[in-house]
Amino acid sequence: MTDQFRTVGKSLRRKDAWDKTTGKALYTADIPVENVRVGLIIRSPHHYARILEIDKERSLEVSGVLAVLTSDDIPGAKEFGPLIPDQPSLARGVVRHLGEPVVLIIAETKLAAEEAATQIQISYDPLTPVFDPIQAAKEDAPQLHQDGNIITELNICDGDIEKGFQDADHILEDTYNLPRIHPGYMELETSLAVWGDDQTITVWVSSQHPFTDQEFIAAALDLPVGNVRVKSGVIGGAFGGKEDSSLSILAALGAWAIKGTVRLVNTRRESFLAHPKRHPAKIHYKLGARSDGTFTALQAEVHMDTGAYASYGTAVAAILTETLAGSYRIPNVQVKTLVVYTNSPLSGAMRGFGSPQSHFAVESMVDSMAEEICMDPVQIRRANILKVGEKMFTGVILNETATALPICLDKAQDVIDRFQAVEVSPGKKAGVGMALAAQSMGLGAHVPDDSTHRLEWSLDGKVLIHLGSPDLGQGLAMAVEQITAEALGLPYNQVESLLLDTLDRPNGNTTCASRMTYMAGNALIDASEKLIQNLLAHAGEILEVPADKLIYKEGEIIKEDGSTLPVVEFLGRLAEDSITLMSESTFSFPYPEETTPQDLPIGMPHVLYCFGAQVARVEVDPDLGIVEVTHFAAIHDVGKVISQSGVEGQIEGGVATGLGYALYETMLKKDDQWVDSFTEYLLPTSKDLPNHFENIILEIPEASGPYGAKGIGEIPLVPTAPAVANAVKNAVGVRIKKLPITPERVLGFVD
Amino acid sequence: MKEISVAFLLNGNKTSVTSLPNRTLLDVLRTDLGFTGAKDACGGEGECGACTVILNGKPVNSCMIFIGQVEGTQITTIEGLLEKGEYHRLQKAFVETGAVQCGFCTPGAILTAKALLDENPHPTDQEIREGLSGNLCRCTGYNKMIDAIHLAELGGLDD
Repeated sequence: MTDQFRTVGKSLRRKDAWDKTTGKALYTADIPVENVRVGLIIRSPHHYARILEIDKERSLEVSGVLAVLTSDDIPGAKEFGPLIPDQPSLARGVVRHLGEPVVLIIAETKLAAEEAATQIQISYDPLTPVFDPIQAAKEDAPQLHQDGNIITELNICDGDIEKGFQDADHILEDTYNLPRIHPGYMELETSLAVWGDDQTITVWVSSQHPFTDQEFIAAALDLPVGNVRVKSGVIGGAFGGKEDSSLSILAALGAWAIKGTVRLVNTRRESFLAHPKRHPAKIHYKLGARSDGTFTALQAEVHMDTGAYASYGTAVAAILTETLAGSYRIPNVQVKTLVVYTNSPLSGAMRGFGSPQSHFAVESMVDSMAEEICMDPVQIRRANILKVGEKMFTGVILNETATALPICLDKAQDVIDRFQAVEVSPGKKAGVGMALAAQSMGLGAHVPDDSTHRLEWSLDGKVLIHLGSPDLGQGLAMAVEQITAEALGLPYNQVESLLLDTLDRPNGNTTCASRMTYMAGNALIDASEKLIQNLLAHAGEILEVPADKLIYKEGEIIKEDGSTLPVVEFLGRLAEDSITLMSESTFSFPYPEETTPQDLPIGMPHVLYCFGAQVARVEVDPDLGIVEVTHFAAIHDVGKVISQSGVEGQIEGGVATGLGYALYETMLKKDDQWVDSFTEYLLPTSKDLPNHFENIILEIPEASGPYGAKGIGEIPLVPTAPAVANAVKNAVGVRIKKLPITPERVLGFVD
Repeated sequence: MKEISVAFLLNGNKTSVTSLPNRTLLDVLRTDLGFTGAKDACGGEGECGACTVILNGKPVNSCMIFIGQVEGTQITTIEGLLEKGEYHRLQKAFVETGAVQCGFCTPGAILTAKALLDENPHPTDQEIREGLSGNLCRCTGYNKMIDAIHLAELGGLDD
């Protein structure tokens, strides 16, 4: 099958990789500019407090200080937010979390800014904070916002829940606790803002959607959107965390205030405290099943801690709720999710977007149920997986991609058999566990989900992709270059994508939701066809032949007599007439009426799913409780591989992040302070990951995808933690219900 | 505090800077000398390895070195790995195996790998994992970096 493709499916070299290996790649902190001033943010030392007074007089006297700004100095919108504009750029009268920005200092040097920070007097009246989402949801809890602490309550009922549990021979009930997770991108939040003449400003960002930054900056500075130009630097990872504005508003405010250039870079400590994380959640989960393993009922209640401001909390809640039944057919379902404000650090978008939380509950519970009724974990899954054309409890009807589920289980069974045969190290106990996963693609029905991208055939013969959505580092640029090269029949090296600039690029929408290769790929296949049509129309005029007598093939125009004209030669002739060969296309995420529920009470149903399975083999030290993942297999359906090394990289990196979730990562509160550095918040290192790793990639073409491709950005970390937890259970008999799986939990000392 | 003058060999070139002594090598490399290949990803706490440079043959976190400490030393940054415009075999191997995603940790990882191969030309998987364990990467899961180091160890690729 792959033979029909020239470029797609191949393992090629990323063009940006050369500059990244030599230090030439310019991330936003690296962009050289003249007379750049330093911004420093003074942040709240309290979890929750009223601000009584900010006296900035003495700080303004410090030599080298150019501006000391508070909320009062913001000329336009003082709050922002992707879904609910509830987050102050600088605190207004109250601080609701530790590390909340209160004052912005702009100075000639870092030392001057630091000196000024010591000269500012801010007096606070501390209030009693609330951190637990269940407590915060109660009426007598401190109310953080005017409309109370519960931002949203999502309820879905399907079937008859009472009858479902009556039909069950076995009912199990457990509460699962998921920790707060740092996205962990290596490049910290950074922004560089340059004030220009005529009330214009140019801002470099590290952002998943620079067009949102543009809107927020314009609103805050009370400028027309067209006066704000936002450019993307090279981005050092995002993982959802850069869907939220990364200092762009404050950098712009500083540049506006001094009519100059300001760079703001968070420290890791600031990033921990003040930038959104993956939501902690408590999931109470009750599952009923017949003795033959058939699931009859699911009841779940979820409390999500979104922190002091909403960020993407309500949208994350939707996917968490929609995936509470995982990949399974459960006829009677009642689920309820509360998204609650607390005084904890913010939670928002992060890779998986609710799915890692729901799947830890589902996939742990399914194994518990298998044990309860003495059934094999693969068998119980096989008995309950959704089939093509079946309705999920949300009303979404699954398309052909569900054919991946039984294949994932077959492959997983094969891996399990092999992993179980591995000899156990002396003194250790070994276990093998698996989990399935379903991850939605797209922003959801009834939400604008369009993506526009443009092609330009430049005079030197290169086709430039004006990509409307940034490459976050995952390799989007390479994927769309491969797709466009394929569509135009050109060599990969003749196609090049450009960094985003809101001045003259189309809006491709946020790079998120496992859908960017899918969206941009589809748009660019269509744009390629339009580019060819434009080319032939112009060629027809110049050559004075009807366009339909000309054929385009692999960079050449073929005339009726069989003679050929290289496009690159023809471009020069067009340029003489000031014609640039361009095309543009918008792809809209398809939400087919027949498979999309129109009346889902929580709105925005997600209808296209990716599926996968993972198998972990662990060895546990029964005395120390230390868990080592020795073998791992990731089985994922990607529809069609666009970039072989890119897909493998997404899966290997995703699993590493999933293993961090399983074993190491949690942003704890200790002695009234949050863990806020990599000293105590442990990202997996090269030593922590399994030596034996198998990437098993399935290609079941998705009819709506570019060359059949689906998304792979998020799902690789979704089944990882429950697969490890199930392996630990099989090794030492301990059912872990709270992540991460620390030695203390394995030994039963806590939780 | 008084400024001091410090001289060292940077990527083979005699270099001298005048700076307050309490600034880090990372800060001076990035701010004064324009060598931005060394990155800060942990807030200058020596936890991430993104600022790795090779100092007298050893990989070090340049955020943990005061500028006053580098007098008379030999320092190699990622910018110094190119020789006569030619990519180093590790750079080629990182590109070839797909070990580069966002790239923010890449300069540090390559320099760590160079120091490792200089000392141990044919490391095992475990030795590579040990050697790289101070360089955090969130994108790749490290597998392709390990492949890259093996590829470079075996001579790398010509093109």
